[in-house]
Amino acid sequence: MNQLAGHIGRRTLAAVDHLPNLLAFIYSILKLIFHRPATGRAMLKKFTLEQIFFTAYQALYVIIPVALLIGSMLIIQFAKVSTQYDLGKIMVLLIVREIGPIVTALIVILRTATAVSIEIGYMQVFHEIEAIEMAGIDPLRLLCLPRLMGITAAILCLLVIFNLVAVIGGYLIVWIFTYIPIKNLFGQIEAAITFTDILVGNIKALLFGFSITVICLYHGFKPNMKITGIPAQTSKVAVECFFSCLVIDVIISVLFYL
Amino acid sequence: MPVIELIDYTLKPEGAGNGLTEFSFSLFSGDGYSIETDSIDDAALFLKALVTLASPRKGTYCFNEMKIDLSDYRNALPCKQRIGYIASDAALISNRTVRENLLFMRYFHEDSLLLTLDDHTADLCRKFDIFDKLERRPGELHPQDIKNTITIRELSKHPDVLVLERPEDFIDHTKFRIFMEAVRAMTQRNLPVVFYSSDADFTKSFSNKKLTISKGRLTSFS
Repeated sequence: MNQLAGHIGRRTLAAVDHLPNLLAFIYSILKLIFHRPATGRAMLKKFTLEQIFFTAYQALYVIIPVALLIGSMLIIQFAKVSTQYDLGKIMVLLIVREIGPIVTALIVILRTATAVSIEIGYMQVFHEIEAIEMAGIDPLRLLCLPRLMGITAAILCLLVIFNLVAVIGGYLIVWIFTYIPIKNLFGQIEAAITFTDILVGNIKALLFGFSITVICLYHGFKPNMKITGIPAQTSKVAVECFFSCLVIDVIISVLFYL
Repeated sequence: MPVIELIDYTLKPEGAGNGLTEFSFSLFSGDGYSIETDSIDDAALFLKALVTLASPRKGTYCFNEMKIDLSDYRNALPCKQRIGYIASDAALISNRTVRENLLFMRYFHEDSLLLTLDDHTADLCRKFDIFDKLERRPGELHPQDIKNTITIRELSKHPDVLVLERPEDFIDHTKFRIFMEAVRAMTQRNLPVVFYSSDADFTKSFSNKKLTISKGRLTSFS
Protein backbone atom coordinates (compact mmCIF):
# COMPACT_ATOMS: atom_id res chain seq x y z
CA MET A 1 0.00 0.00 0.00
CA ASN A 2 2.84 2.34 0.94
CA GLN A 3 4.59 1.48 -2.30
CA LEU A 4 1.47 2.31 -4.29
CA ALA A 5 1.04 5.62 -2.48
CA GLY A 6 4.71 6.39 -3.07
CA HIS A 7 4.40 5.55 -6.75
CA ILE A 8 1.31 7.74 -7.17
CA GLY A 9 3.02 10.54 -5.24
CA ARG A 10 6.16 10.40 -7.38
CA ARG A 11 4.15 10.34 -10.61
CA THR A 12 2.05 13.28 -9.43
CA LEU A 13 5.09 15.32 -8.45
CA ALA A 14 6.74 14.55 -11.78
CA ALA A 15 3.60 15.61 -13.65
CA VAL A 16 3.33 18.83 -11.63
CA ASP A 17 7.03 19.59 -12.20
CA HIS A 18 6.83 18.93 -15.93
CA LEU A 19 5.26 22.20 -17.04
CA PRO A 20 7.41 24.60 -14.95
CA ASN A 21 10.54 22.68 -15.96
CA LEU A 22 9.55 22.84 -19.61
CA LEU A 23 8.85 26.57 -19.34
CA ALA A 24 12.23 27.12 -17.65
CA PHE A 25 13.88 25.19 -20.48
CA ILE A 26 12.03 27.30 -23.08
CA TYR A 27 13.19 30.44 -21.27
CA SER A 28 16.82 29.34 -21.31
CA ILE A 29 16.60 28.53 -25.04
CA LEU A 30 14.96 31.87 -25.82
CA LYS A 31 17.74 33.59 -23.91
CA LEU A 32 20.27 31.81 -26.12
CA ILE A 33 18.65 33.24 -29.25
CA PHE A 34 19.15 36.81 -28.06
CA HIS A 35 22.54 36.25 -26.45
CA ARG A 36 25.07 36.34 -29.28
CA PRO A 37 28.68 35.80 -28.19
CA ALA A 38 31.43 36.26 -30.76
CA THR A 39 32.76 32.70 -30.54
CA GLY A 40 31.37 29.54 -32.06
CA ARG A 41 29.37 31.12 -34.87
CA ALA A 42 31.03 29.11 -37.62
CA MET A 43 30.29 25.90 -35.76
CA LEU A 44 26.68 26.87 -35.04
CA LYS A 45 26.19 27.75 -38.71
CA LYS A 46 27.57 24.36 -39.76
CA PHE A 47 25.42 22.47 -37.27
CA THR A 48 22.31 24.42 -38.36
CA LEU A 49 22.95 23.57 -42.01
CA GLU A 50 23.47 19.92 -41.10
CA GLN A 51 20.14 19.95 -39.26
CA ILE A 52 18.34 21.53 -42.23
CA PHE A 53 19.94 18.95 -44.52
CA PHE A 54 18.75 16.10 -42.30
CA THR A 55 15.29 17.47 -41.53
CA ALA A 56 14.35 19.06 -44.86
CA TYR A 57 16.44 17.66 -47.71
CA GLN A 58 16.55 14.04 -46.52
CA ALA A 59 12.80 14.15 -45.78
CA LEU A 60 11.91 15.03 -49.37
CA TYR A 61 11.65 11.38 -50.38
CA VAL A 62 8.95 11.00 -47.71
CA ILE A 63 7.08 14.26 -48.00
CA ILE A 64 6.74 14.30 -51.81
CA PRO A 65 4.98 10.91 -52.14
CA VAL A 66 2.83 11.65 -49.09
CA ALA A 67 1.81 15.04 -50.52
CA LEU A 68 1.06 13.48 -53.92
CA LEU A 69 -1.08 10.76 -52.37
CA ILE A 70 -3.00 13.12 -50.11
CA GLY A 71 -3.43 15.76 -52.82
CA SER A 72 -4.72 13.34 -55.45
CA MET A 73 -6.98 11.49 -52.98
CA LEU A 74 -8.58 14.74 -51.87
CA ILE A 75 -9.12 15.91 -55.44
CA ILE A 76 -10.63 12.55 -56.43
CA GLN A 77 -12.95 12.41 -53.42
CA PHE A 78 -14.13 16.01 -53.47
CA ALA A 79 -14.42 16.30 -57.26
CA LYS A 80 -17.32 13.87 -57.00
CA VAL A 81 -19.22 15.63 -54.24
CA SER A 82 -18.60 19.32 -54.88
CA THR A 83 -19.03 21.91 -57.58
CA GLN A 84 -15.98 23.17 -59.46
CA TYR A 85 -15.74 26.34 -57.39
CA ASP A 86 -15.96 24.36 -54.13
CA LEU A 87 -13.11 22.07 -55.13
CA GLY A 88 -10.59 24.93 -55.19
CA LYS A 89 -11.92 26.26 -51.93
CA ILE A 90 -11.81 22.82 -50.31
CA MET A 91 -8.20 22.35 -51.41
CA VAL A 92 -7.26 25.65 -49.77
CA LEU A 93 -9.28 24.88 -46.66
CA LEU A 94 -7.94 21.40 -46.18
CA ILE A 95 -4.42 21.34 -47.59
CA VAL A 96 -3.08 24.86 -47.08
CA ARG A 97 -4.80 25.57 -43.78
CA GLU A 98 -4.96 22.23 -41.98
CA ILE A 99 -3.54 19.07 -43.54
CA GLY A 100 -0.33 20.65 -44.88
CA PRO A 101 1.00 21.94 -41.55
CA ILE A 102 -0.11 18.89 -39.54
CA VAL A 103 1.22 16.25 -41.96
CA THR A 104 4.51 18.17 -42.30
CA ALA A 105 4.81 18.31 -38.52
CA LEU A 106 3.98 14.61 -38.26
CA ILE A 107 6.72 13.68 -40.71
CA VAL A 108 9.24 15.87 -38.87
CA ILE A 109 8.20 14.30 -35.55
CA LEU A 110 8.60 10.77 -36.93
CA ARG A 111 11.94 11.41 -38.60
CA THR A 112 13.64 14.21 -36.68
CA ALA A 113 12.16 14.66 -33.21
CA THR A 114 12.66 11.01 -32.33
CA ALA A 115 16.18 11.04 -33.79
CA VAL A 116 17.18 14.21 -31.93
CA SER A 117 15.73 12.92 -28.68
CA ILE A 118 17.66 9.64 -29.01
CA GLU A 119 20.85 11.45 -30.05
CA ILE A 120 20.80 13.82 -27.09
CA GLY A 121 19.82 11.00 -24.73
CA TYR A 122 22.80 8.95 -25.88
CA MET A 123 25.09 11.96 -25.61
CA GLN A 124 23.91 12.38 -22.05
CA VAL A 125 24.32 8.71 -21.10
CA PHE A 126 27.76 8.35 -22.72
CA HIS A 127 29.12 11.57 -21.19
CA GLU A 128 29.44 13.32 -24.56
CA ILE A 129 27.71 16.39 -23.17
CA GLU A 130 30.33 16.49 -20.42
CA ALA A 131 33.00 16.25 -23.13
CA ILE A 132 31.51 19.36 -24.76
CA GLU A 133 31.54 21.12 -21.40
CA MET A 134 35.16 20.11 -20.84
CA ALA A 135 35.98 21.98 -24.04
CA GLY A 136 34.57 25.11 -22.40
CA ILE A 137 31.51 25.09 -24.65
CA ASP A 138 27.95 25.54 -23.43
CA PRO A 139 26.20 22.34 -24.62
CA LEU A 140 22.83 24.06 -24.55
CA ARG A 141 24.06 26.65 -27.05
CA LEU A 142 25.90 24.18 -29.24
CA LEU A 143 23.22 21.49 -29.37
CA CYS A 144 19.94 23.37 -28.92
CA LEU A 145 20.35 26.51 -30.98
CA PRO A 146 21.27 24.85 -34.32
CA ARG A 147 18.49 22.29 -33.85
CA LEU A 148 15.95 24.96 -33.04
CA MET A 149 16.88 27.08 -36.06
CA GLY A 150 17.37 24.09 -38.34
CA ILE A 151 14.17 22.24 -37.53
CA THR A 152 12.03 25.38 -37.61
CA ALA A 153 13.46 26.50 -40.97
CA ALA A 154 13.11 22.94 -42.31
CA ILE A 155 9.42 22.69 -41.33
CA LEU A 156 8.76 26.00 -43.06
CA CYS A 157 10.44 24.77 -46.27
CA LEU A 158 8.74 21.38 -46.10
CA LEU A 159 5.34 23.02 -45.65
CA VAL A 160 5.76 25.05 -48.83
CA ILE A 161 6.89 21.92 -50.70
CA PHE A 162 4.02 19.85 -49.29
CA ASN A 163 1.40 22.42 -50.31
CA LEU A 164 2.79 22.84 -53.82
CA VAL A 165 3.22 19.11 -54.43
CA ALA A 166 -0.19 18.24 -52.97
CA VAL A 167 -1.99 20.78 -55.14
CA ILE A 168 0.02 20.70 -58.38
CA GLY A 169 1.08 17.05 -58.17
CA GLY A 170 -2.34 15.92 -57.05
CA TYR A 171 -3.92 17.79 -59.97
CA LEU A 172 -1.46 16.23 -62.42
CA ILE A 173 -2.04 12.70 -61.12
CA VAL A 174 -5.81 13.10 -61.39
CA TRP A 175 -5.47 14.70 -64.84
CA ILE A 176 -3.20 11.93 -66.15
CA PHE A 177 -4.82 8.87 -64.63
CA THR A 178 -8.55 9.68 -64.38
CA TYR A 179 -11.37 11.20 -66.42
CA ILE A 180 -12.64 13.35 -63.57
CA PRO A 181 -13.38 16.83 -64.99
CA ILE A 182 -11.47 19.42 -62.94
CA LYS A 183 -11.25 22.48 -65.12
CA ASN A 184 -9.36 25.52 -63.98
CA LEU A 185 -8.47 24.14 -60.53
CA PHE A 186 -5.59 26.59 -60.11
CA GLY A 187 -7.87 29.52 -60.96
CA GLN A 188 -10.30 28.37 -58.30
CA ILE A 189 -7.51 27.99 -55.74
CA GLU A 190 -6.22 31.46 -56.65
CA ALA A 191 -9.70 32.87 -56.06
CA ALA A 192 -10.12 31.03 -52.78
CA ILE A 193 -6.70 31.56 -51.17
CA THR A 194 -6.07 34.66 -49.10
CA PHE A 195 -2.99 36.25 -47.54
CA THR A 196 -4.24 35.06 -44.15
CA ASP A 197 -4.12 31.43 -45.32
CA ILE A 198 -0.43 31.73 -46.22
CA LEU A 199 0.35 33.68 -43.05
CA VAL A 200 -1.45 31.16 -40.85
CA GLY A 201 0.38 28.23 -42.51
CA ASN A 202 3.71 29.92 -41.84
CA ILE A 203 2.82 30.79 -38.24
CA LYS A 204 1.77 27.20 -37.62
CA ALA A 205 4.99 25.88 -39.15
CA LEU A 206 7.10 28.21 -36.99
CA LEU A 207 5.28 27.27 -33.80
CA PHE A 208 5.33 23.56 -34.67
CA GLY A 209 9.08 23.77 -35.29
CA PHE A 210 9.64 25.53 -32.00
CA SER A 211 7.47 23.19 -29.94
CA ILE A 212 8.83 20.00 -31.55
CA THR A 213 12.44 21.07 -30.99
CA VAL A 214 11.90 22.24 -27.44
CA ILE A 215 10.07 19.05 -26.43
CA CYS A 216 12.62 16.65 -27.90
CA LEU A 217 15.57 18.60 -26.48
CA TYR A 218 13.90 18.94 -23.09
CA HIS A 219 13.47 15.19 -22.82
CA GLY A 220 16.95 14.54 -24.19
CA PHE A 221 18.55 16.82 -21.61
CA LYS A 222 16.65 15.38 -18.65
CA PRO A 223 19.14 14.69 -15.87
CA ASN A 224 20.02 11.18 -14.63
CA MET A 225 19.10 9.63 -17.94
CA LYS A 226 19.71 5.86 -18.16
CA ILE A 227 20.27 3.92 -21.37
CA THR A 228 17.17 1.83 -20.67
CA GLY A 229 15.09 5.00 -20.38
CA ILE A 230 15.80 6.17 -23.93
CA PRO A 231 13.17 4.07 -25.80
CA ALA A 232 10.41 5.06 -23.38
CA GLN A 233 11.51 8.68 -23.59
CA THR A 234 11.46 8.58 -27.39
CA SER A 235 7.90 7.34 -27.54
CA LYS A 236 6.92 10.00 -24.99
CA VAL A 237 8.58 12.66 -27.18
CA ALA A 238 6.66 11.55 -30.28
CA VAL A 239 3.30 11.61 -28.50
CA GLU A 240 3.97 14.90 -26.71
CA CYS A 241 5.19 16.60 -29.90
CA PHE A 242 2.17 15.48 -31.89
CA PHE A 243 -0.25 16.48 -29.16
CA SER A 244 1.36 19.92 -28.78
CA CYS A 245 1.15 20.45 -32.56
CA LEU A 246 -2.55 19.58 -32.55
CA VAL A 247 -3.20 22.00 -29.68
CA ILE A 248 -1.25 24.77 -31.44
CA ASP A 249 -3.10 24.01 -34.68
CA VAL A 250 -6.50 24.35 -33.01
CA ILE A 251 -5.54 27.55 -31.18
CA ILE A 252 -4.19 29.23 -34.34
CA SER A 253 -7.20 28.14 -36.41
CA VAL A 254 -9.60 29.44 -33.78
CA LEU A 255 -7.69 32.74 -33.49
CA PHE A 256 -7.67 33.41 -37.23
CA TYR A 257 -10.80 31.81 -38.60
CA LEU A 258 -13.44 31.87 -35.88
CA MET B 1 48.81 31.26 -5.68
CA PRO B 2 46.69 28.07 -5.85
CA VAL B 3 45.49 27.01 -9.28
CA ILE B 4 42.50 25.19 -7.80
CA GLU B 5 41.12 25.64 -4.33
CA LEU B 6 38.23 23.74 -2.79
CA ILE B 7 37.12 25.31 0.50
CA ASP B 8 34.86 23.54 3.02
CA TYR B 9 33.65 21.19 0.33
CA THR B 10 31.07 18.48 0.89
CA LEU B 11 30.23 16.04 -1.89
CA LYS B 12 27.29 13.67 -1.85
CA PRO B 13 28.10 9.99 -2.44
CA GLU B 14 28.11 8.46 -5.92
CA GLY B 15 27.99 4.74 -6.64
CA ALA B 16 29.22 2.67 -3.70
CA GLY B 17 31.26 5.54 -2.20
CA ASN B 18 30.79 7.43 1.04
CA GLY B 19 30.93 10.91 -0.45
CA LEU B 20 33.35 13.46 0.99
CA THR B 21 32.62 15.66 3.97
CA GLU B 22 33.94 19.09 4.91
CA PHE B 23 37.36 19.15 3.33
CA SER B 24 39.57 21.85 1.91
CA PHE B 25 42.18 21.35 -0.75
CA SER B 26 44.62 23.63 -2.54
CA LEU B 27 46.55 22.76 -5.67
CA PHE B 28 49.61 24.82 -6.56
CA SER B 29 51.84 24.92 -9.62
CA GLY B 30 54.31 22.04 -9.53
CA ASP B 31 52.16 19.89 -7.25
CA GLY B 32 51.86 16.23 -8.11
CA TYR B 33 49.15 14.68 -5.94
CA SER B 34 48.62 10.95 -5.90
CA ILE B 35 45.48 9.61 -4.23
CA GLU B 36 45.29 6.66 -1.88
CA THR B 37 41.81 5.54 -1.06
CA ASP B 38 39.60 2.82 0.38
CA SER B 39 36.91 3.66 -2.19
CA ILE B 40 37.51 4.02 -5.93
CA ASP B 41 34.16 5.83 -6.22
CA ASP B 42 35.24 8.49 -3.73
CA ALA B 43 38.53 9.02 -5.58
CA ALA B 44 36.62 9.38 -8.87
CA LEU B 45 34.17 11.75 -7.17
CA PHE B 46 37.00 13.92 -5.87
CA LEU B 47 38.56 14.09 -9.34
CA LYS B 48 35.17 15.01 -10.83
CA ALA B 49 34.81 17.75 -8.22
CA LEU B 50 38.23 19.11 -9.18
CA VAL B 51 37.14 19.46 -12.81
CA THR B 52 33.73 20.84 -11.70
CA LEU B 53 31.80 17.90 -13.13
CA ALA B 54 30.49 17.14 -9.63
CA SER B 55 28.80 19.97 -7.78
CA PRO B 56 29.22 20.22 -4.03
CA ARG B 57 26.45 20.13 -1.47
CA LYS B 58 28.26 23.04 0.07
CA GLY B 59 31.62 24.71 -0.30
CA THR B 60 33.51 27.16 -2.48
CA TYR B 61 35.41 26.45 -5.68
CA CYS B 62 38.19 28.81 -6.75
CA PHE B 63 40.14 28.66 -9.99
CA ASN B 64 43.26 30.85 -10.24
CA GLU B 65 42.00 32.66 -7.11
CA MET B 66 38.68 33.46 -8.73
CA LYS B 67 35.60 32.22 -6.90
CA ILE B 68 33.34 30.28 -9.25
CA ASP B 69 29.60 30.18 -8.62
CA LEU B 70 28.75 26.59 -9.47
CA SER B 71 24.98 27.10 -9.19
CA ASP B 72 25.09 27.95 -12.91
CA TYR B 73 27.08 25.38 -14.92
CA ARG B 74 28.06 28.06 -17.45
CA ASN B 75 30.28 29.80 -14.89
CA ALA B 76 32.51 26.73 -14.71
CA LEU B 77 33.03 26.40 -18.47
CA PRO B 78 36.16 28.61 -18.65
CA CYS B 79 37.72 26.48 -15.86
CA LYS B 80 36.82 23.20 -17.53
CA GLN B 81 38.43 24.42 -20.73
CA ARG B 82 41.74 24.75 -18.87
CA ILE B 83 41.74 21.34 -17.19
CA GLY B 84 42.95 18.17 -18.87
CA TYR B 85 40.75 15.29 -17.68
CA ILE B 86 41.59 11.71 -18.55
CA ALA B 87 39.18 9.38 -16.80
CA SER B 88 36.91 6.41 -17.37
CA ASP B 89 33.93 8.71 -18.05
CA ALA B 90 35.73 10.92 -20.59
CA ALA B 91 34.22 10.56 -24.07
CA LEU B 92 34.49 11.59 -27.69
CA ILE B 93 31.60 13.15 -29.59
CA SER B 94 30.34 10.22 -31.59
CA ASN B 95 28.92 11.96 -34.65
CA ARG B 96 32.17 13.84 -35.38
CA THR B 97 35.37 12.49 -36.90
CA VAL B 98 38.54 12.04 -34.85
CA ARG B 99 40.00 15.17 -36.48
CA GLU B 100 36.89 17.20 -35.61
CA ASN B 101 37.01 15.86 -32.06
CA LEU B 102 40.64 16.92 -31.70
CA LEU B 103 39.90 20.37 -33.12
CA PHE B 104 36.49 20.77 -31.50
CA MET B 105 37.55 23.26 -28.82
CA ARG B 106 39.58 25.35 -31.25
CA TYR B 107 36.83 25.32 -33.89
CA PHE B 108 34.51 26.87 -31.36
CA HIS B 109 36.76 29.31 -29.54
CA GLU B 110 38.73 30.46 -32.58
CA ASP B 111 35.48 30.61 -34.59
CA SER B 112 36.84 28.95 -37.69
CA LEU B 113 36.33 25.56 -39.31
CA LEU B 114 39.44 25.88 -41.47
CA LEU B 115 41.91 25.00 -38.71
CA THR B 116 44.46 22.23 -38.97
CA LEU B 117 46.11 20.13 -36.27
CA ASP B 118 49.10 21.86 -34.73
CA ASP B 119 52.51 20.13 -34.82
CA HIS B 120 52.30 18.94 -31.21
CA THR B 121 48.88 17.29 -31.73
CA ALA B 122 49.90 15.78 -35.06
CA ASP B 123 53.03 14.38 -33.41
CA LEU B 124 50.95 12.82 -30.61
CA CYS B 125 48.57 11.35 -33.22
CA ARG B 126 51.52 9.68 -34.95
CA LYS B 127 52.92 8.37 -31.68
CA PHE B 128 49.53 6.96 -30.62
CA ASP B 129 48.86 5.49 -34.12
CA ILE B 130 45.82 7.67 -34.72
CA PHE B 131 47.11 9.73 -37.63
CA ASP B 132 45.71 7.44 -40.33
CA LYS B 133 42.33 7.29 -38.57
CA LEU B 134 41.67 11.02 -38.40
CA GLU B 135 38.73 10.93 -40.81
CA ARG B 136 36.96 8.08 -39.03
CA ARG B 137 34.18 8.48 -36.50
CA PRO B 138 34.49 7.03 -33.00
CA GLY B 139 32.03 4.25 -33.85
CA GLU B 140 34.47 2.94 -36.47
CA LEU B 141 37.41 2.86 -34.07
CA HIS B 142 38.73 0.21 -31.71
CA PRO B 143 37.87 1.16 -28.08
CA GLN B 144 41.58 1.61 -27.35
CA ASP B 145 41.89 4.09 -30.23
CA ILE B 146 39.01 6.06 -28.72
CA LYS B 147 40.86 6.24 -25.41
CA ASN B 148 44.07 7.23 -27.19
CA THR B 149 42.20 10.00 -28.99
CA ILE B 150 40.77 11.28 -25.71
CA THR B 151 44.29 11.26 -24.26
CA ILE B 152 45.64 13.25 -27.21
CA ARG B 153 42.73 15.72 -27.00
CA GLU B 154 43.32 16.38 -23.31
CA LEU B 155 47.10 16.61 -23.56
CA SER B 156 46.94 18.93 -26.56
CA LYS B 157 44.55 21.42 -25.02
CA HIS B 158 47.45 23.04 -23.14
CA PRO B 159 45.80 22.65 -19.73
CA ASP B 160 46.63 24.50 -16.51
CA VAL B 161 45.96 21.31 -14.53
CA LEU B 162 45.99 17.63 -15.41
CA VAL B 163 43.56 15.27 -13.66
CA LEU B 164 44.02 11.55 -14.27
CA GLU B 165 41.97 8.59 -13.13
CA ARG B 166 43.81 5.25 -13.36
CA PRO B 167 45.82 6.18 -16.47
CA GLU B 168 47.34 2.67 -16.58
CA ASP B 169 43.85 1.26 -17.28
CA PHE B 170 42.93 4.01 -19.71
CA ILE B 171 46.02 4.02 -21.88
CA ASP B 172 47.23 1.06 -23.89
CA HIS B 173 50.28 -0.45 -22.13
CA THR B 174 52.27 -0.25 -25.38
CA LYS B 175 51.71 3.51 -25.43
CA PHE B 176 51.99 4.12 -21.71
CA ARG B 177 55.62 5.14 -21.90
CA ILE B 178 54.79 7.70 -24.60
CA PHE B 179 52.04 9.02 -22.37
CA MET B 180 54.42 9.25 -19.41
CA GLU B 181 56.93 11.17 -21.51
CA ALA B 182 54.23 13.63 -22.60
CA VAL B 183 53.09 14.13 -18.99
CA ARG B 184 56.71 14.47 -17.82
CA ALA B 185 57.30 17.21 -20.40
CA MET B 186 54.27 19.04 -19.03
CA THR B 187 55.13 18.61 -15.35
CA GLN B 188 58.63 19.89 -16.01
CA ARG B 189 56.92 23.16 -16.90
CA ASN B 190 55.34 23.06 -13.39
CA LEU B 191 51.94 21.82 -14.53
CA PRO B 192 50.11 20.52 -11.45
CA VAL B 193 48.84 16.94 -11.65
CA VAL B 194 46.30 15.11 -9.52
CA PHE B 195 45.86 11.42 -10.14
CA TYR B 196 44.62 8.16 -8.81
CA SER B 197 46.81 5.29 -9.99
CA SER B 198 47.82 1.85 -8.84
CA ASP B 199 50.90 1.88 -11.08
CA ALA B 200 53.85 2.24 -8.71
CA ASP B 201 56.19 3.51 -11.42
CA PHE B 202 53.74 6.21 -12.51
CA THR B 203 53.07 7.27 -8.91
CA LYS B 204 56.79 7.42 -8.14
CA SER B 205 57.44 9.49 -11.26
CA PHE B 206 54.77 12.15 -10.78
CA SER B 207 53.82 12.28 -7.13
CA ASN B 208 55.43 14.73 -4.74
CA LYS B 209 52.39 14.95 -2.44
CA LYS B 210 49.83 12.48 -1.23
CA LEU B 211 46.07 12.62 -0.69
CA THR B 212 44.31 10.04 1.41
CA ILE B 213 40.59 9.44 1.14
CA SER B 214 39.25 7.15 3.82
CA LYS B 215 35.66 6.73 4.98
CA GLY B 216 34.60 9.99 3.39
CA ARG B 217 37.48 12.01 4.88
CA LEU B 218 40.20 13.60 2.79
CA THR B 219 43.66 14.28 4.16
CA SER B 220 46.64 15.67 2.28
CA PHE B 221 50.34 15.14 3.04
CA SER B 222 53.41 16.80 1.61
